[in-house]
Amino acid sequence: MVVRLLCAAAVTGSLVIATACGRSAGSTSEPAIRLSSTENGGAAYVEVTGLSGEALDSLRDAELTADQWSGILRVAVSDAAPGMLGNYSVADSALRFTPMYPLDPGRQYQVRFDPAHLPTAGVAGGSAIVASVGQPAQHTTPSTVVARVYPTSDAVPENLLRMYIEFSGPMGWPSGVEHMKLLDEKGKEIPGAFLPLDYEFWNPDHTRFTAFFDPGRVKAGILPNQQMGRALNTGRSVTLVISPEWRDQHGLPLKEEFRRVLRVGPAEDKPLDTGSWSIQPPSVGQRDGVVVTFHKPLDYGLLMRALGVTREGVTVEGQIVVDQAETRWTFTPREPWRTGAYHLLALDILEDVAGNQIGRAFEVDNFETVDKSPNPTSITIPFRATAASGVK
Amino acid sequence: MNSLRLKLAFLVAFIVIASLSPSSALQVAQTGQGPTLASIGPLAFGAEGTLFTADNQGAAIFALDLGEQANGGAAGAKSLDALDEKLAALLGTGAREIAVTDLVVHPRTRNAYVSVMRGQGAGAAPALFRIDGAGAIVNVTLQSLKFQKVELPNAPAANTAARTNPRTQVITDMAFADGRLWVAGLSNEEFASKLRAIPYPFATVDRGVSVEIYHGNHKAVETRSPINAFVPYTLNNQQHLIAGYTCTPLVKFPISDLKAGEKVRGTTIAEFGAGNRVLDMIVYRKGGQEFLLTANNSRGVMKIPTHTFASAAPITTPVETETGGVPFEKVTSMTGIEQLDKLDDNNSIVVARTVAGGLNLQVAALP
Repeated sequence: MVVRLLCAAAVTGSLVIATACGRSAGSTSEPAIRLSSTENGGAAYVEVTGLSGEALDSLRDAELTADQWSGILRVAVSDAAPGMLGNYSVADSALRFTPMYPLDPGRQYQVRFDPAHLPTAGVAGGSAIVASVGQPAQHTTPSTVVARVYPTSDAVPENLLRMYIEFSGPMGWPSGVEHMKLLDEKGKEIPGAFLPLDYEFWNPDHTRFTAFFDPGRVKAGILPNQQMGRALNTGRSVTLVISPEWRDQHGLPLKEEFRRVLRVGPAEDKPLDTGSWSIQPPSVGQRDGVVVTFHKPLDYGLLMRALGVTREGVTVEGQIVVDQAETRWTFTPREPWRTGAYHLLALDILEDVAGNQIGRAFEVDNFETVDKSPNPTSITIPFRATAASGVK
Repeated sequence: MNSLRLKLAFLVAFIVIASLSPSSALQVAQTGQGPTLASIGPLAFGAEGTLFTADNQGAAIFALDLGEQANGGAAGAKSLDALDEKLAALLGTGAREIAVTDLVVHPRTRNAYVSVMRGQGAGAAPALFRIDGAGAIVNVTLQSLKFQKVELPNAPAANTAARTNPRTQVITDMAFADGRLWVAGLSNEEFASKLRAIPYPFATVDRGVSVEIYHGNHKAVETRSPINAFVPYTLNNQQHLIAGYTCTPLVKFPISDLKAGEKVRGTTIAEFGAGNRVLDMIVYRKGGQEFLLTANNSRGVMKIPTHTFASAAPITTPVETETGGVPFEKVTSMTGIEQLDKLDDNNSIVVARTVAGGLNLQVAALP
C-alpha cells in the first residue's frame, strides 16, 4: 500500500484544509480529504471528495458497522488511537464524517481514507491517503482572572465558613480547593483549611466557585477542631493564594496568581437578628432602591437569593445590589414604588459568613429545634415607601 | 496533649420532613425518548436495569431505559489500562479534557457503565460508555433511549431574579432501595445536606420527602455534615441505609422510619477518622460472611464485617482512640481508588488513579 502523505494546508475561514501532496487539490478524479463546516461557521466535519458516483452510491446504500466505516474513513486524535465517535453520510458528492462532539480548536486530527475498504473496492481500488486536519486554536493567551472573592472585606471572623471565588470568565477543571492555599504570616501553608470534596460547587455558568472551610475545624468542640484547631486565628493575618494552574474553559491557566491578605478577627457566633437591620425606605412614585443595612457582613450568595420584597404576598420584581462589604443590600424595583405596605422577605436560610442563620447560631444544639419543614420559614419586615419631596 | 487527642464520638440525627406545599413537590418534567442531559453522574442501577443518572448541571435525575443497548456485549467487564486515554480518544479529545464521574455495574449483564464529562466548564458535554467482558468500549447513544425525568425542587428563593438560578444543589450519591431512589445532595450556598426519597416510576411522584441531616457529637453540636456515599442494607429483616459522612462517621438508619413528619435519629456505629471522606462503598459476601467495602480519599480501602452492624452500640460518648466502633481492616492491595462497584460475587471493579496520574479500570478480587 502506498500512503501518500498530505502536506499542503490552506486556511479557509477558520478551517484548515488538507490536500494530497503531489496531487491536484480539489480534483474530482482523485480522492482528497478536507475539513469543512456547516454554513455560518457551524460544526466542523471531515469530507472525502473526488469519489466516483459509483463509490458514493455504494456508500449511500451501505449498511456498515462502525468498524467497517472506520476502516474506510478513520478520524482519530492520533495515529495509534481508535477512530472517534461520529456519523457517516454521503452529502454534496462527498463522504462525510461528522464527529459526535465538536472538534477541539488547536488539536490536530489524523484522518485516513482507504478506498480498498469501499463496498466497490473491487471496482474502484486505489491506495489509502492520510491527512492531518484541525482548526486553529482560538484562545492561546491566558486572560481569565480572579475577579472577586467573597467576603470582600479584608477582615474576617476566625470561624469563616465559606468563600465564593468569582472569575472573569467560565472555568474548566480539574478545579477546586487544591488550587487554593492559605499561608500564615511566615508564608507557610496552613494545611487542611478547606473542605476537600469529590464534587464541585459552581454556579450554572461556571464563573463562581464555592469553597467551604472544613466545618469540623470551624466548629468548636468536635474532634478536628480539637486536634487541629481553626485554620484562622484571631489577631493573625493569612494570605489567600489562588494558583494560576486553575484552568479556564479553554484549558488555559489563569492570567496571574491571585493573592489577598485577610485579617482575622474574633469568631462570629451570634444568630442573625433582623431587629438590628436598618431599612431606608424608598420614595412613592420613584424607582429608587430600598436600602437594608446589616450590622455585620452576610453571605453574598444567600443575600442574592434569600432576601426579597413582597407586596400583598406577591414577590416584587426588581434588581439587587450587594455592596459595602456585604453589609448593604439595595433592591430597585422594576416599577415605581406605590403607596401602601411592602414587606422585606427574609428566608431563614440567610446566613452570615460564619453560617449563623436567623435566630439560629451555627454553634448550637439543634436536635430539638430544627426546621419542621423543608421549605424555609421566613420573616417579613414591613416598610412603606415615603412621599418624596417634589413628587407630583 | 491528651485533650487534643480526645476523640469525640458523633451522634447523627436525621430530621425527616415532608411538606404538602406545592413548592416542595417533585414534578415529572418529561417522559419520552432522547433525554437531554446537561451533565452526567453519579449513576445508580435499579434492580431491573434502569439506569438512574444524576444531572447536577440541570438539577434533574433521569431514569434511562437502556433497551437493546444493554445487550450484545460479552458478559462481565474487563480490566483496561489507560481508561481515560481510551475514552478521550473515542470522544475526540485528550485525557486531560475528560472527567470520569461514576462507575456502576449492570445487575444482569455485569457490564460496567462509565459516565464521562467531555470538555471544560459550562461547555462540557455528557457521555456514557458500556465496557463488556471482552474489554469492548461501546458508546451508549443517549438520543435513542426512553427516559423519565424528575427535576429537583428549586432552591428556595425570596426574589424573582434568584428563581432563574435554581441550580444550587450537588448530588453526591444515589441508590435504589425499597422502590425508591435515594438521593444525597449538598447545597453550594447554604451549608445544608439533604437526603431525598423519590418513588419510582417517577410518573407516580407527586411530592417528595426531604431529609435534613444533623451530625454532632454527644453534646449534640450539629455540623450539617454531608453524606459522601451510602448503600442500602438489610439489618434484622429491616431495610436500612448505611451512610458514610465526611470525617468519617459510619451511620445506620432504617428507611421505614423515614416517614413524612417524623424525626429519625441515625445511629453512628463507627468512626473511621478525621480528615477523611468515603468515596464509594459496596456490600459483598465472602466465606459465608458479609462485608462492607469502603474506598476512602485519605485512608485507603477498608473492609468492615457487617455482622456487628445490627447489635453495634451507638457511639454516644467520647472515645480515646483514633478510630472507634465496629472493627475494620485496611486493604492495602487496593490503592488510588476513585470509583468502586461490585462486579460479581467474587470481584470488584474500580477506576484507580495511577502514580503517573492516569486512570485504569481494574477488576480486583473482593478481599
